[in-house]
Amino acid sequence: MSGGQAVSVLLEDRLITLNRAVGLIRRRNLPVRSLAIGPTATPGLSRLTIMMQSDIATAERAVQHLQKMIGVRAAIAFPTLDGVTRELALVKVRAPHHRYAELLDVIQLYNASVLDDSTDGLIVEVSGSEAFVLSCLRALERFEVVEVARSGTIALGTANNLQSEMGT
Amino acid sequence: MTESLTGSQILCRALLEEGVDVLFGYPGGAIMPFYHALPEFPGLRHVLVRHEQAAAHAADGYARATGRAGVCVATSGPGATNLVTGLATANMDNTPVVAITGQVARAMMGRDAFQETDIIGITQPITKHSRLIEDVEEIEEAVREAFHVAQEGRPGPVLLDIPKDVQNQKAEWRGGRSGGQADRRTGGSSQGVKIPPYRRTAALEEAARLIATAERPLIMAGHGVVLSGAYAELWVLAERTGIPVITTLLGISGFPESHPLHLGMPGMHGEVHVNRAIQQSDLIIGLGLRFDDRVTGNLAGFARGAKLIHVELDTSEIGKNVPAAVALVGDVREVLCALLPTVAPRTCDAWQREIASFVRPREESFRDGLSPQAILDAISDASDGGCTIVSDVGQHQMWVAKLFRYQRPNSHITSGGLGTMGFAVPAAMGVALARPGEPVWAISGDGGFQMNMQEIATMVQEGIPVKMAIFNNGYLGMVRQWQQFFHGKRYSATPIWSPNYVKLAEAYGIAGHRVETIDQLEGVVADAAAEPGPVLVEFMIEQEANVFPMIPPGGSLSEPIEGEAATPLVSA
Repeated sequence: MSGGQAVSVLLEDRLITLNRAVGLIRRRNLPVRSLAIGPTATPGLSRLTIMMQSDIATAERAVQHLQKMIGVRAAIAFPTLDGVTRELALVKVRAPHHRYAELLDVIQLYNASVLDDSTDGLIVEVSGSEAFVLSCLRALERFEVVEVARSGTIALGTANNLQSEMGT
Repeated sequence: MTESLTGSQILCRALLEEGVDVLFGYPGGAIMPFYHALPEFPGLRHVLVRHEQAAAHAADGYARATGRAGVCVATSGPGATNLVTGLATANMDNTPVVAITGQVARAMMGRDAFQETDIIGITQPITKHSRLIEDVEEIEEAVREAFHVAQEGRPGPVLLDIPKDVQNQKAEWRGGRSGGQADRRTGGSSQGVKIPPYRRTAALEEAARLIATAERPLIMAGHGVVLSGAYAELWVLAERTGIPVITTLLGISGFPESHPLHLGMPGMHGEVHVNRAIQQSDLIIGLGLRFDDRVTGNLAGFARGAKLIHVELDTSEIGKNVPAAVALVGDVREVLCALLPTVAPRTCDAWQREIASFVRPREESFRDGLSPQAILDAISDASDGGCTIVSDVGQHQMWVAKLFRYQRPNSHITSGGLGTMGFAVPAAMGVALARPGEPVWAISGDGGFQMNMQEIATMVQEGIPVKMAIFNNGYLGMVRQWQQFFHGKRYSATPIWSPNYVKLAEAYGIAGHRVETIDQLEGVVADAAAEPGPVLVEFMIEQEANVFPMIPPGGSLSEPIEGEAATPLVSA
């Protein structure tokens, strides 16, 4: 997680705009760890969070390129240490009957919750920083992990407010 | 008072309102409604090219000559994909081009319909912006946005993709330039392209201080000087300070070459004294350039003793390749206007003498004396220097850049960033239409000429008087030169056969000439210059001539190859 930068982008919630933004990241060969997109408090606007393993200068260059793009309303980069980051993972995991209690202990340890309990296994939800989620995943790997879905990291800076910067 | 028009008619009216007078295009199925409407608008001259690539290059040439967006039109599918190289060329060199493509009808989109391609997806990385017009109501506003985005700030190509049924849809014409004007003032809906007017900052004072105290300062003038028309401001800065001026490939003709302070072109094929001046300098004033790898050579060894004052419109260029001691973000002309009052008169006599001592004469011989210099001098003399040169890509491009003595602003047009062979002939058509009455020479090698020579037919049909010069050496010369220096003289796929160009000209019904010796040169070029219509002149030049000096790819500006004897880099 050291050296991680968050690039937060407010953009029009149209597929073409997302396509452009992601295309730019690919074309400029930027070191992306994860992407996450979802709606914002403003109708018609989405927030794209790009987690980058880079120095702040590279992340700021990404911001400059993104800001030139039509459909992008605002963009900002900040070190993950200067903000709050969260990721959510859903894990389908199986354990033999005699280890079931052990599995529930792990789930409890990570403040995770069981969303579904079927014959195929448990579906567990865990959220936290990327490191926390990874740690939980490693713990669950002691059992049989069938499938994993991760949301990608979202972030908000503590000392900046992207939505207030729109149009300035 | 409103009236109901088709999408195509609205498109034509919107183009006229943007001041468009010429379109380069090629019809086809998905753009037919537009072509149906076109004859109702005699103010829009349509030039039928022979290949859509030429339409994009011609629009690019028109834009480079005028500073206004050039327009090209193509149908969906293959028509649209043929524009791609031209759009990429315009994108790399920041030329305002608006491309209009037909698209299959909305109901057919996404079903792999006949002649359907995702041209928005294809062109996304090579356009400044692109937009699929999904309803006729969008057309007027989309055209205004397209021209605004293409021309505003750092220019670039914009593509509008219009489904066939949208071209036929009816809507009210709202009309009036007022909407467009308002867009221009506010920056429209396009968030990223607003440019704040240049404000005085502490950085200006710091720049002036560096200029006053530097011992070995240089000005490097790039395309931004031409794009912003900062000719007079650059001239004043140089004259007031005595700072020598280097012009990059796209900065050429931004400063008169006869001026004693003009040094020449830097970089891979820059003269030794130019590159050495860069390496020795302690201050570089970079005006509207992006420090491309062909300019800097190996970045680690580039101008290590120099501080950089980087004047640049696009903040993402600041520090991208070369760190800036002072960044002055803005239009080059506006920044210079703000900077000049703070710049005190000074001289650079000792530094100028030092640079002069770097100059080394080079002995080169050419068959029958038919040197690139002699040919270019003859072309210049034939129009008293009053012509525009459009060059292609390769060895001749470097000779044209270095040896022609440009006196008039923006009289040198070439594909710099993308290095697109086949550019010169179609781009020159756009230049010729933008500058009626002025001689326009398209100078190509025998390789690049054959990439778009079909456009002679366009020139004949449309009466576009381009003077085509071919530097024929029977090779793809620049690649052959690299093979000679770096690939053990293995001339793989570089010998190239040419047709009889004089007969080719004849077949198209235009005058064609071949120059084989120096004594034919002046007469033939004078004849070609006097020809009112398109004309072709083939120059049979030395087959294995090289462009010297040359910085090996990845090498530092301090390590030029200066002649045939010095080719230690040959590897098997």
